[in-house]
Amino acid sequence: MPKIKLTIDGKPVEVEAGTTLLQAAETVGIQIPHYCYHPGLKLAGNCRMCLVEAEKMPKPLASCVAPVQEGMVVKTNTDNVISLRRSVMEFLLINHPLDCPTCDQAGECRLQDYYMQYDKIPSRFHEEKVHKDKMIDLGAGVMLDQERCIACTRCIRVCQEVAGVDELCLSNRGDHVTITTFPGKELSNPYAGNTVDVCPVGALTSKEFRFKKRVWFLESTSSVCPGCSRGCNITVQHQESKVYRLLPRLNSEVNSYWMCDEGRYGFDSVNDHRVLRARINEEGVSEEAGHEDALVELASLLRETSLSEIAVVGHASETCETLENLQQFAKNSLKSRYFFYSRFDPPHPYSDNILMTADKNANQKGVDQLGFKPLSDLKSAVGVLVLRDLTGQEMELLDRLQIPVLAFFAVNESPLCTKAKIVLPIPSYAEQEGHFINVQGKKQKIVPAFEPRGESRLVTEWLNDLKDLLESAGQKKKIAC
Amino acid sequence: MALVLTNRVGLKDSHTLEVYKKTGGYASVEKLFAMEPGTVIEEVKSSGLRGRGGAGFSCGLKWSFVPQNIGKPVYLCVNADESEPGTFKDRLLLEEDPHQLIEGIVIACYAIRSTTAYIYIRGEFDLSYRRIEQAVKEAYQAGFLGKNIFGKKYDLNVTVHRGAGAYICGEETALLNSLEGKKGEPRIKPPFPAVAGLFGCPTIVNNVETLSALPFIINEGALAYRKWGTEKSPGTKLFSVSGHVVRPGTYEVPLGYPLKDLIYKDCGGIPDGKKLKAVIPGGSSVPVLTAEEAEKTFLDYESIAQYGSMLGSGGVMVMDEDVDMVWALRNLSRFYAHESCGQCTPCREGTGWVDKILQRVLNGGGTLEDLALLKEISDNMMGKTICVLADSIAMPVLSFIKKFPADFERYVRSHSAGGKMRILG
Amino acid sequence: MIEFSTQTKKKLEECLTHYPTRQAALLPTLWLAQEEFGTVTLEVMEYVAGLLDISPAHVYSVATFYTMFHLKPVGKYHLQVCRTLSCALMGGERILDHLKKRLGIEEGEVTPNGKFSLCAVECLASCGTAPAMMINEKYYENLDVQKVEKILDELK
Ligand SMILES: Cc1cc2nc3c(=O)[nH]c(=O)nc-3n(C[C@H](O)[C@H](O)[C@H](O)COP(=O)(O)O)c2cc1C
Ligand code: SF4
Ligand code: SF4
Ligand code: SF4
Ligand code: FES
Ligand code: FES
Repeated sequence: MPKIKLTIDGKPVEVEAGTTLLQAAETVGIQIPHYCYHPGLKLAGNCRMCLVEAEKMPKPLASCVAPVQEGMVVKTNTDNVISLRRSVMEFLLINHPLDCPTCDQAGECRLQDYYMQYDKIPSRFHEEKVHKDKMIDLGAGVMLDQERCIACTRCIRVCQEVAGVDELCLSNRGDHVTITTFPGKELSNPYAGNTVDVCPVGALTSKEFRFKKRVWFLESTSSVCPGCSRGCNITVQHQESKVYRLLPRLNSEVNSYWMCDEGRYGFDSVNDHRVLRARINEEGVSEEAGHEDALVELASLLRETSLSEIAVVGHASETCETLENLQQFAKNSLKSRYFFYSRFDPPHPYSDNILMTADKNANQKGVDQLGFKPLSDLKSAVGVLVLRDLTGQEMELLDRLQIPVLAFFAVNESPLCTKAKIVLPIPSYAEQEGHFINVQGKKQKIVPAFEPRGESRLVTEWLNDLKDLLESAGQKKKIAC
Repeated sequence: MALVLTNRVGLKDSHTLEVYKKTGGYASVEKLFAMEPGTVIEEVKSSGLRGRGGAGFSCGLKWSFVPQNIGKPVYLCVNADESEPGTFKDRLLLEEDPHQLIEGIVIACYAIRSTTAYIYIRGEFDLSYRRIEQAVKEAYQAGFLGKNIFGKKYDLNVTVHRGAGAYICGEETALLNSLEGKKGEPRIKPPFPAVAGLFGCPTIVNNVETLSALPFIINEGALAYRKWGTEKSPGTKLFSVSGHVVRPGTYEVPLGYPLKDLIYKDCGGIPDGKKLKAVIPGGSSVPVLTAEEAEKTFLDYESIAQYGSMLGSGGVMVMDEDVDMVWALRNLSRFYAHESCGQCTPCREGTGWVDKILQRVLNGGGTLEDLALLKEISDNMMGKTICVLADSIAMPVLSFIKKFPADFERYVRSHSAGGKMRILG
Repeated sequence: MIEFSTQTKKKLEECLTHYPTRQAALLPTLWLAQEEFGTVTLEVMEYVAGLLDISPAHVYSVATFYTMFHLKPVGKYHLQVCRTLSCALMGGERILDHLKKRLGIEEGEVTPNGKFSLCAVECLASCGTAPAMMINEKYYENLDVQKVEKILDELK
């Protein structure tokens, strides 16, 4: 590709032919305001917020669509450009309802942001506004307010270009254009949540998230979705130890700007149904226990058996680090060579050629690389230590082989919580650091958003203490923690 | 006056192949096929023929932008969407001389090496539609369209495609979208249609009148065409005259013709002895002229530009002394608000806003600030959008207010003077 | 379930041969549908979408963009009076007002007996023979109130 040289706000820029002015400006750190432009979508060029001036050009140029030309002298911050932006803002606001106090987009609304930057003048519009419908449940967890729509078509394009379906459209024309699905039909694609992300205003909001939290109270942490082997890069938004929403995070090699709804709304397992204290199950009675008591109990259970015939069962949704620890523990402390793994295997996993894979585990590649074997290969053992969960089939297998579950490292409630002798709470993916290897073989990092909830502790910590206990050979020793 | 385009108008059954042939129709074809396509383009370039759809761009030059041999079909789209208020000249050509248009299509297609043409005709047209459909059918039957036309090794298929009520489909890229089965939303340029148009292929869009001039140019040569008109605006053009004249109608005159003569001689002047007040010379989208300006200007692209207006589509709308210019402007603003496709912010919002303000002013609720606001809104719409529909109302607003201030002030004076200044906010 | 008649299906097949994509036949197909069913209802739009392998949402956006598709039933005689400048200069507003009074309906309405519906439309390219209107697809030009009366009387 030939290179083109131009200057933007006095800075020399050199980019490939075909680059747009907006992108070229970005390469030298100049941000041009925009609504309809989205780097992951085809160009629409309709909002006109990105107008800039170029020398020798009679008219302003829409920088999101205008290609660079050799020797161009572009200005993005002259008085005239600023006044162009102000006028676009004014046009956008004349028919816009003044919903801000009750609009859930508050805090991440481009209209508010740019209004403060460019407009800030009282309305000169004294006419009747165009009225449209509000509070429409579009389906797929998306709420629509037609009056707030600025007709940027981002949501239409996201459905077409990401989900591959044409479910949204702008009907009518002129200032009566109205964003809608086909009347009577619901939005129903598995990527519909992305429409909410791309909507620059409060026209599309998430039913799940609406009014739960003002966004400025939320903290953000980079992570990876554990929902399937794609491992979409995400941002976990949380306050204290509660997750409020997941947003996709750009990774052009994995998920671009997007994520699926299954993953997006799959954070229940972080907030709810958590096992937050250790438990000791004895003769059908389940009792909560401090971690020390639980560990001591577990150690004595283990010592009653032949350690090297204990099998450890990892999980294809655990991080590489956790799996490694488990393996080291088995090798060094138990002298066992039995490393198995379990995995989530829903009966009819949805998958497509977009993002969602049929493998609903975040780290299958990780268990494979460490040489863990599927639990169905298990022939015999004196007991098992299980991480995270087992499938119904696997539980039946253990029953058939009469292998007791000595310990269950649990994130969420499961039938195993009563079956296992000892239940030890561990953190969810939102509370720990580590890596998943995705379907493409990419090793991706997760970062803890908050401290392990309740009395849950990292698997590593549990195992280190257990190791110490086992090594202090029979004698009861106070463990430090 | 026998000129270029309208020689058969008024002849009995002028729309039939029989009459067309009898009166010299399809005579250019032999000459055409003896020429190289490139030579045809050169001939049309030297005739100086400019697009009659409104923009006045050199026809031959536009054709020369079509890339050749890129492995994609080339299309010709005939713009028969004629919807610009005040314009009804293409309708005349479609109704009275559809074969002349078809002959023009053959010439254009041959020149740009296209074998497929679509005639995009506005949905409301009924007689025009039937006439052009019939003419196409006749031409197929006569072997003038279809396979090996006129016995030459050249195929040409022509399809008549009906619009469905949208002024904006006259804009060439909106027309292409409409033809592709989409909303009539103008496209971002570049790419221009000549490079990537219909179905992503090189496409030329030409107006009916532009194409209808081609048989003459090929038959008689570029120089013969240049007999009429001025150096920069050669040839003849159709002007549709409407409003307050004794004999409204479509007139073919050489470019450079005095507007005064068109109004007072050809059209018989203003009825009932009234005085001329204003003329919109090129369809409703162009700036208005005062009577004085109208009586001085000549009808060519350059002369009209001197008075800050444009030749546009040649729709001459004549208004007598009784016309209230606020009322007239509001009529136009309603049109543009109704016809904006709604893509671009300034046009979608601005057209409706201007219309609502003018309506309020007309109802007696306007102030002097409203006039200032109208000017500012217009400035903010002009040159900032994907197509020029936004400019098409901004220019009338600016010119009406500038040239007929008294009409506007009459409406707002009583209001503003009463101290009822509107509180901003 | 609605369906095109065999004859209309044939017309559609023929029409499709003129375009490289099925979608390009959308306007012609909506015209055929309007001829056959009278109104372009949501059901019709879904049917058309199926015929052309395009989404119902797309058909909806197109059908609501163009003004000539009847999304609601119109009268046996659909009166479309031009309201744009050249007609207005020649008294077009009077024609519209007269029709409203005479038929007792407003723009966008249908008479109770379903015979007439009325709407105002933009320039019909009859400005030289203003004022103008269309009744169904036929043009009526150089109108005045007497002429309109006569035309209405003749419509059975
Ligand atoms: C809003 C708008 C409406 C237009 N309407 C028409 C029209 O009805 N007929 C037409 O021939 N050109 C129309 N044009 C001009 C076309 O875009 C285009 O320039 C023309 O068809 C090119 O043909 P020509 O070069 O032969 O004039 C319109 C342009 C705009 C911006
Ligand atoms: S709903 Fe939002 S994303 Fe969709 S067009 Fe409107 S403003 Fe744009
Ligand atoms: S595709 Fe997979 S990884 Fe991506 S968001 Fe969905 S479930 Fe999560
Ligand atoms: S200027 Fe108006 S008509 Fe033209 S593309 Fe923009 S919104 Fe549509
Ligand atoms: S961002 Fe460029 S036009 Fe919208
Ligand atoms: S203004 Fe009525 S037909 Fe043109």
